[in-house]
Amino acid sequence: MTDLSTAPPVIQTRAIVKSFSGVQALRGVDFAVHPGEIHALLGQNGAGKSTLVKILNGVHKAGSYSGEILVDGKPVTFASTSEARACGVGYVPQEIEVLEQLTVAENVFAGHTGLGRGPIINRRRMEQEARALFDELGLSIDPRMLVASLTSAQRHLVMIARALSFKPRVLMLDEPTASLSGVEVERLFSVLRRLKAQGKTMIFITHRLPEVLAICDRATVLRDGRVAAAIEREDFDEEQFIYAMSGQKLQRLYPHHDAPPAETRPLLQVKNLSIAGRFGVNRGVSDVSFDVRPGEILGLAGLLGSGRTEILHAIYGRVPYSGEIAVDGAPVAIRTAADARAAGIALLTEDRKRDGLLFNLPVGANITIGNLTKLSSHGMVREGREKNAVLAAMRALNVKARSPQASVAHLSGGNQQKLLFARVLMSAPRVLLLDEPTKGVDAATRAEIYRLIVDLADKGVALVVVASELEEVIGIADRCLVVADGRLVGEFQRGEGSEDKVLRTITAAQAEMQRAALANAGHAG
Amino acid sequence: MEREDNMERTVERDSGFEGSGRALRDRLTRLVAVGEVGVLLALIVLVAFFYMMEPAFLSERNIRAILRVVSFIGIIAIGQTILLVCGEFDLSVGAVAGLSAVCSAKLMTALALPVPLALLGGVMVGAGVGLVNGLVVVKLKIPAFIQTLGMLFIGQGLIQVVTNGYPVYPLPPIISDIGYASIIFGLGWSFVFFVIAALGADFVLRRTVLGRNMYATGGNPEVARLVGIDTNRYKIGAFMTVGALAAIAGMFVMADLASGTTSIGSGWELNVIAGVVVGGVSLFGGAGTMAGGLIGVLLLQVVTSGLVVVGVNANWQQIAVGVIMVMAVGLDILRRRFFIAGSGGAQPVAASTEPAAKPS
Repeated sequence: MTDLSTAPPVIQTRAIVKSFSGVQALRGVDFAVHPGEIHALLGQNGAGKSTLVKILNGVHKAGSYSGEILVDGKPVTFASTSEARACGVGYVPQEIEVLEQLTVAENVFAGHTGLGRGPIINRRRMEQEARALFDELGLSIDPRMLVASLTSAQRHLVMIARALSFKPRVLMLDEPTASLSGVEVERLFSVLRRLKAQGKTMIFITHRLPEVLAICDRATVLRDGRVAAAIEREDFDEEQFIYAMSGQKLQRLYPHHDAPPAETRPLLQVKNLSIAGRFGVNRGVSDVSFDVRPGEILGLAGLLGSGRTEILHAIYGRVPYSGEIAVDGAPVAIRTAADARAAGIALLTEDRKRDGLLFNLPVGANITIGNLTKLSSHGMVREGREKNAVLAAMRALNVKARSPQASVAHLSGGNQQKLLFARVLMSAPRVLLLDEPTKGVDAATRAEIYRLIVDLADKGVALVVVASELEEVIGIADRCLVVADGRLVGEFQRGEGSEDKVLRTITAAQAEMQRAALANAGHAG
Repeated sequence: MEREDNMERTVERDSGFEGSGRALRDRLTRLVAVGEVGVLLALIVLVAFFYMMEPAFLSERNIRAILRVVSFIGIIAIGQTILLVCGEFDLSVGAVAGLSAVCSAKLMTALALPVPLALLGGVMVGAGVGLVNGLVVVKLKIPAFIQTLGMLFIGQGLIQVVTNGYPVYPLPPIISDIGYASIIFGLGWSFVFFVIAALGADFVLRRTVLGRNMYATGGNPEVARLVGIDTNRYKIGAFMTVGALAAIAGMFVMADLASGTTSIGSGWELNVIAGVVVGGVSLFGGAGTMAGGLIGVLLLQVVTSGLVVVGVNANWQQIAVGVIMVMAVGLDILRRRFFIAGSGGAQPVAASTEPAAKPS
């Protein structure tokens, strides 16, 4: 380990204060990252994480905040992101921003000059340098490939390579694992460990505590625009982090729930469900059958692309399927979302921005959309009735918005998610499909959502939950089905499953399928 | 310019309210956030300006002339606003107006159909073209821009095919009776129809389930589908509505001229779109109000007429219309950015318009 006491911090902030139209986002943040460490930046939504990051990479220009930034002990000011980059601050955004129709090498060196003579690009040299960069990262991505043909995890690695190509003093990774599956997270971590071994300094911004425990050396926790705690690796402790982030001791992460008796008549039955695969996205789903009883929380555990989301989408009429679906014993043909809703099925989608919120409508209309029949007469919306329903839903789910007329864009991620829950619940579903119900929400909201899921089950709703974090699916579900490459490959009752058991099941199943595929190929040959 | 001043004032007003009553601030913000307020102020300023330059601008005759044009174009603008709210737009409305007019004229002359039937036939032609536009856009997923631009040419061609290039004349006397009737303030049936249709459409957009679902469809069709809205039907319905309304506008002009002239509707499509866009109706769907769209149409007509009255060369009218349209959209984008500040610019933000808001 480097001696932390002598070397100046690579990057440091002093008394940063930043406000947006009167609301203080940062109230004096002192933050220091030392050479060669992976430094976690933690905090709930709205704690000031992204504001701090935007100040450090020059999105919020010098002068729009007070306080100081020091790089290697020297004060600096950034008037733009390119100035921040020139001072050695590298940034990998959370959203994947790549030029799909260009090659990997072109993406890595987009924005660089001087890779050839004048304006003409020396393609071979660019590809060589890209390959060298990937070698450094221990990755085997061909620089000549089109980015369009890469998986999103690979695209993310390309963005990391792009940030590294500017030779940064410190690399900021903004929620790098948000859309990665378990295996991909491991691969990313091995890349980060490698970079650390080369002496690189990194800031790791995340919501996920296990990852902090796994890979970070020090952590700074922000709360309400202040540093709530700066914790050394030897003092790392999940409870302490949660306490620092939320300011209160959270009791148990998952509320208690008893599964309904096994002999209860199933509410949702899925038989021999098959879905065609989509090239480059997943391999489809074949012959999946399962039942969900009223009051039961069923988890679908699997990696990204395993088909777990497609199963939910088929049941909700978003993708065509073959097979049978029955609700309360009666077979239903589901071709559209409207069919599914008529059968008492509701879906909470994974991507709030793309498939959830209507940014052109205020909070209230966002909650009631699709549920207006009950709130109208003769086709006219009864405004009083609608307002009461909205206020009741906002109270019930603790949606914090100024008023039903407020814009949804202003809400925090957690409140947006609760708003979407309110919308979904307003249709009084008997079967509720939840795709990543806690994605991108803070720890406190997460706990609220778990509580809500359990309450709904207690009321007799049949729930199916999909989540990337295996630990979450295992924790919340009464029963967990393991999905791998579009098949059901295992089942765990509450208390039986664990992350590594599920992972082992998946790996074993994948190996088995691969053997079978090879054997088939052998037969054919 | 006037809108710009207005913008700045609102900015000051907003920041001046820090710490004072949140409810008051909320209400003011919401008022300014409503698109119509800005364009209405601009309209008032423009009217005052032209009146000061030339008092004859507010003469009864000139006001009547402005409202007469607005009553024709406005009928189409009602449909176009509905269609834009649903997330599509129609460039063929001018040709559809002309085609429907000459078709109904032919029906009542060459085929000697009773007048009501011939008029119904004209409406059916308009709605039929709308149906084709809607089906092609929704089912074949051809962008509305291409489909309706194509339909603009097709319609213009069909007008020539139907009429051989000659105006359809003479029409039954009842048609000119409709055209010459003076119902209110020297304005005819087209104005009455326009006002009733505008009030009805405004009510539908603001107060009904149908209207709310249209905003959802235009705001994010995927979300709308997920909550069980049949977005295809909404879009096709909106295309048919704008087609039918264009037909009606075309036939009113025909009655006004007492002749099925081939030039009816020619060039209207751009006036209609420019007008509603000036009024804050978003080209990207899901945002805007009927009042805003129609005030926008009126504003453009006021400018065109005002420039004539104050004696500016006719060529400058078009330039003025172009400048105003770009400026209005620019200011609208600024206004939205201002009211959605801090939400991250990446998302399609159009949250300022609140169809659910009560008229204040």
